[in-house]
Amino acid sequence: MRFHTRIFSILFCLSMLLVGVAVAQDEPTTLRIGTTYMIDTLNPANGFYGYAIRPLWYDTLVTWAGGDNFEPSLAESWSVSDDGLTWTFKIRDGVRFSDGSRLTAEDVAWNIRWLIENEVPSMIGYLNNVEDAQAIDETTLEITVSEPVPDMISAKLLYVWMLPPSVWQDLNGDDIVELDDPIATVGSGPYILTDYQEGEYLIMEANEDYWRGAPPVDQIIYQEYATEDALVQALLAGDIDVVISVPGSGAQALIDSEVVEVVTGNDVILEELIINSSPEGTQPASLNDPVVRLAIAHAIDKQGIANVGYLGYAEPATTVLPTAMGAFHNSEIEDIPYDLDAANRVLDEAGYVDSDGDGVREYSDGTPLEYRLYAPDSDAYYARILEIISQDLADIGISTLPTVMSDDSLLALQVDYDNDLIYWGWNFDPDPGFALNVFTCAETVDGGWSDSGYCNEEYDALYQAQSTATDPDERREIIWRMQELLFEDKPYIPVVYPLSISAYRSDRVKFSPEFATQPLYWALYNGFSFVDS
Amino acid sequence: MTRTGYLPRKLLFALVTLGIVITFNFVLFRVLPGDPVKMLFRNPRLTQEAQERIRVQFGLDKPMFLDTEALLNGDLGAAFDSQFTAYLRNLAQGNLGVSFANRQDVGELLRERVWRTVLLVFSGELLAIFLGMAVGLLAAWKRGTRIDAAALILGLLAWALPTFFLGIILLLLARGVLPAGGMVTPGYAQPGTLAYWLDVAKHLILPATTLAIVNASGYMLIMRSSTVEILAEDYILTAKAKGLSNLRILRDHALKNAMLPMVTLIALTLGYTVGGAIQVETVFSWPGIGRLVYDSVAKQDYPVLQGAFLLLAVSVILANLLADILYSALDPRVRLG
Repeated sequence: MRFHTRIFSILFCLSMLLVGVAVAQDEPTTLRIGTTYMIDTLNPANGFYGYAIRPLWYDTLVTWAGGDNFEPSLAESWSVSDDGLTWTFKIRDGVRFSDGSRLTAEDVAWNIRWLIENEVPSMIGYLNNVEDAQAIDETTLEITVSEPVPDMISAKLLYVWMLPPSVWQDLNGDDIVELDDPIATVGSGPYILTDYQEGEYLIMEANEDYWRGAPPVDQIIYQEYATEDALVQALLAGDIDVVISVPGSGAQALIDSEVVEVVTGNDVILEELIINSSPEGTQPASLNDPVVRLAIAHAIDKQGIANVGYLGYAEPATTVLPTAMGAFHNSEIEDIPYDLDAANRVLDEAGYVDSDGDGVREYSDGTPLEYRLYAPDSDAYYARILEIISQDLADIGISTLPTVMSDDSLLALQVDYDNDLIYWGWNFDPDPGFALNVFTCAETVDGGWSDSGYCNEEYDALYQAQSTATDPDERREIIWRMQELLFEDKPYIPVVYPLSISAYRSDRVKFSPEFATQPLYWALYNGFSFVDS
Repeated sequence: MTRTGYLPRKLLFALVTLGIVITFNFVLFRVLPGDPVKMLFRNPRLTQEAQERIRVQFGLDKPMFLDTEALLNGDLGAAFDSQFTAYLRNLAQGNLGVSFANRQDVGELLRERVWRTVLLVFSGELLAIFLGMAVGLLAAWKRGTRIDAAALILGLLAWALPTFFLGIILLLLARGVLPAGGMVTPGYAQPGTLAYWLDVAKHLILPATTLAIVNASGYMLIMRSSTVEILAEDYILTAKAKGLSNLRILRDHALKNAMLPMVTLIALTLGYTVGGAIQVETVFSWPGIGRLVYDSVAKQDYPVLQGAFLLLAVSVILANLLADILYSALDPRVRLG
């Protein structure tokens, strides 16, 4: 007993000493950001997450400012030749990497050539059609393409981080992707990584010499929490200042708090019901009938799903391209209304009747309209949504077996097109190119992006046309036509566009109202401030 | 059988178990549906060529056990060039492989995290053992009274409570007083300093308490029943007749004999709790082995899972062995039987 008392009194004295020291120090301004997943690896050449964090370390030629806004960054201005094959960029002068070396047009050209030559996994995906990059002088860059491209600014250059050749040029092949060291984070961005503990936290300090001006926060700390519950509690308790991408289920607790400000915005997210459309799929023949697809579309209560599954933080979807894609979203598509009577009528007229009186209609070949209905178990709300869909389908004489399963199991069934109906979602790029690519025949091969197995030659021809349509109006028109095709054929029934939700401690910091849809990099320089306490 | 026969037999069993675990470990993660490459890179930023390259790099293009085609052609070298032989070869060299997800060395990943789990589990267990023994002793001594009934009911309740549920409740109750997660406050103190350890201790309170409450009930129930049994023995009556105080009877006469089943239970629980901390570590974002397992399951990171499960299996096997040895040392009847 005596022993314990002594230990405690020593600990107590020491901790009092420490408190004294902590108060005496002049604390730098710190922004604490909570997340459930920070980053997969520090290596930008092999990293497939951390798209919010990396722009704080590296510059890009242009930057995404939220929505369909793209702003000059390292490139001050640009122009394209009349034949559309040569892009000329004016590169900002006097920019330096955090290791002190200069960043000139020559380095930019080297970066683009380097990642094409080495097929750098995380960045190569968008650089199709880019042939070469050369520096004309220290501030002029020329990029040549094999065909005119519409997405040079909105997609191709958006994720090309400018890395210092001094770190990367001597590495080849596997060494490039194997590099897992803080040196991989050296760039010319507004922050410099100082401490990283995988799965725990990440600390970065301001680069005072950043060309856009010293950032408004001296130190950014990312802290990882294993569950969304802990994340919400940490924000309420004040352990952290900001949560970017709050789960819809956690939003209510935050809205009720007086010290937390919740902001929402439209994002490029789609959640959909996939109807297996693969010619090699195992779906029943009746599911390929446009009449059945129309009836199913009539039976999806999009508003109900938005209310129950997303607690209202979602808007009903009409087409595969979310409203956040601006002009590319086909706003003229008139949605098939939620109308169970209409669904029943459509099926009655087409001769789908319940001849054996078991409550399930039969197809002309005698098979019942019975489908497998799957969703991943990664989010709790999926189970509730399946229930809603399943009940409504039962009311129109279609029987389903709603099942949630692990991501892996579901992905295995999806890849083999061994499924009927799947409910899940996409987080698209701001440019519509990737979203539209998902429905091309080329993506139905093993390892492709197609999850519906949809393949339509007319659609593919339109896809090719839009990928080289440099006139924005012409591209928009083609893309609107593509959405109409998908709306008619229904490989997807678009269900909702979930809102993006962010939350911050309004007693400590202030962000712009557009914060929910802006990358952190842009938000810090546009409308961020500390609140004087 | 003599003692020299008893130990080698137990050791042999441990080794055979280990061999089975190693093989089972490999098979288990590969019969699950899904493709790790697709899981990892369901991301618009990866071309099909790049996916293929990653597959080759991690040897996922090789057959799982045996290339039967090469075997029929008589090419033995190629026939046995499989994922399994590569796994055994690496294991023999102490190389646990490289994580699919972030290419870190699995051995290093585990080394970094194992002490954190050990810290959490041992503090939780220590608390649980003291709490369980104290309440168990008290309940046995006051058998049939309200104290006994209350201890039993609360004990059973805690035993039945799901760990994650209890964790979330404690998390809610302690909001603002104790940190909601993690092991340290990032950027607060330099590792190794006293301030750092105090910070760790603050973060340790909630997860260790959760672990303690759930495990203490098990100890309590065992302690109570074995003490009740001992207290009915004649020599306790003799002690009472000698006029010894209650405390001395409990401490000097009952406790030591009642401890026998406890020793086994403690040894076994320690082995299992390295893995059993998965729920606590997940609820409180404690960066240990349990959370690593949780994250790796979601990412189908086979090498990390294999490494972690091997570590867990070894700790359970060692704890069993330890229990066997302890038991034989404490109870002569075991050695003879």
